[in-house]
Amino acid sequence: MKNLTKITLSALLAAGLMSGCADKTERIDMHNDKGDQVMGLDYRDFNQAAAEAVQSMLMSGAVDKKNGDRYVLAISRITNDTMQHIDTDQLVKKIRVELLRSGKVVVTTAVSANGAEDEMSIKARELRGNDEFNQATVQKKGTMIAPDLSLSGKILQRNIRMDDGKQQVEYYFMLTLTEIKTGLAWWEGETVIGKRGSGKSVSW
Amino acid sequence: MKRLIWIAALAVMFSGCADKGSYVKVVDDSIKDDIKIENIIERVNSDSGLKELQIMGENESRDYMKLRYRVVWFDKDGIEVKSISENWQEFPVYKNADFTIHVVAPNEKAVTYRLFINK
Repeated sequence: MKNLTKITLSALLAAGLMSGCADKTERIDMHNDKGDQVMGLDYRDFNQAAAEAVQSMLMSGAVDKKNGDRYVLAISRITNDTMQHIDTDQLVKKIRVELLRSGKVVVTTAVSANGAEDEMSIKARELRGNDEFNQATVQKKGTMIAPDLSLSGKILQRNIRMDDGKQQVEYYFMLTLTEIKTGLAWWEGETVIGKRGSGKSVSW
Repeated sequence: MKRLIWIAALAVMFSGCADKGSYVKVVDDSIKDDIKIENIIERVNSDSGLKELQIMGENESRDYMKLRYRVVWFDKDGIEVKSISENWQEFPVYKNADFTIHVVAPNEKAVTYRLFINK
């Protein structure tokens, strides 16, 4: 019985010690994160690039349709030309959300450079003539709206080795808003984010 | 009588400020003496219908600073209008130099704002 008590106490003590040693996991305040910068791209960089792009777009008047109507925007190719495995939607989604909030732009999910983002718009039309579905509820031909504008761009990375052994990494967020009717770029924006740190840091 | 007129005038002035509800605030005490807000220009862009805001200030210290700002927007009823501007945005402030912050409202509903400047 004494042995059992000893073992139990030792186990409890060890567990207590180990939990004390482990670093606590904390949830980040995404609106006020003063955590150390990293050489790679993190959400703060995407926030900054997206905010600058949207502010510039709204100020330029490129998305102001006469009579207060909304433009239909298609997402074209946004190339990740960095050494990191990033999903360019981290940038594009923020821009889309903010443009939708502006009330000046609505994004089509039926067409994009990579095919339909939401294939259901087309799939649901394949129900035409299917007796199992009330045909009055199936979408009619000619109801989808084609895009007026297209958003394209790339995220570029340049690594520079400095004389003192440090490393400088430059990230370029380049975006273009093209009017599909004419093929003319109505708006272009670039945000550059530079980071300098240890040459041993890995930025991919 | 004169005193009454003064009190009435002051009451009107203060109620005007409260109704407007917009302000710019330097939130960090350590930079309050160095960062001076000199001018705030507001306008509604006639093409977009969006409110634009330009804050001009000066860094009176001898140090370069990397500051941050965020803007919270509200509609005419005082309800917050969500926007990406709520996130802190970095901006450089050079020693003994002016700085400018230029922001646009996220949509036409956003009419009042609170802009915070922090370290």
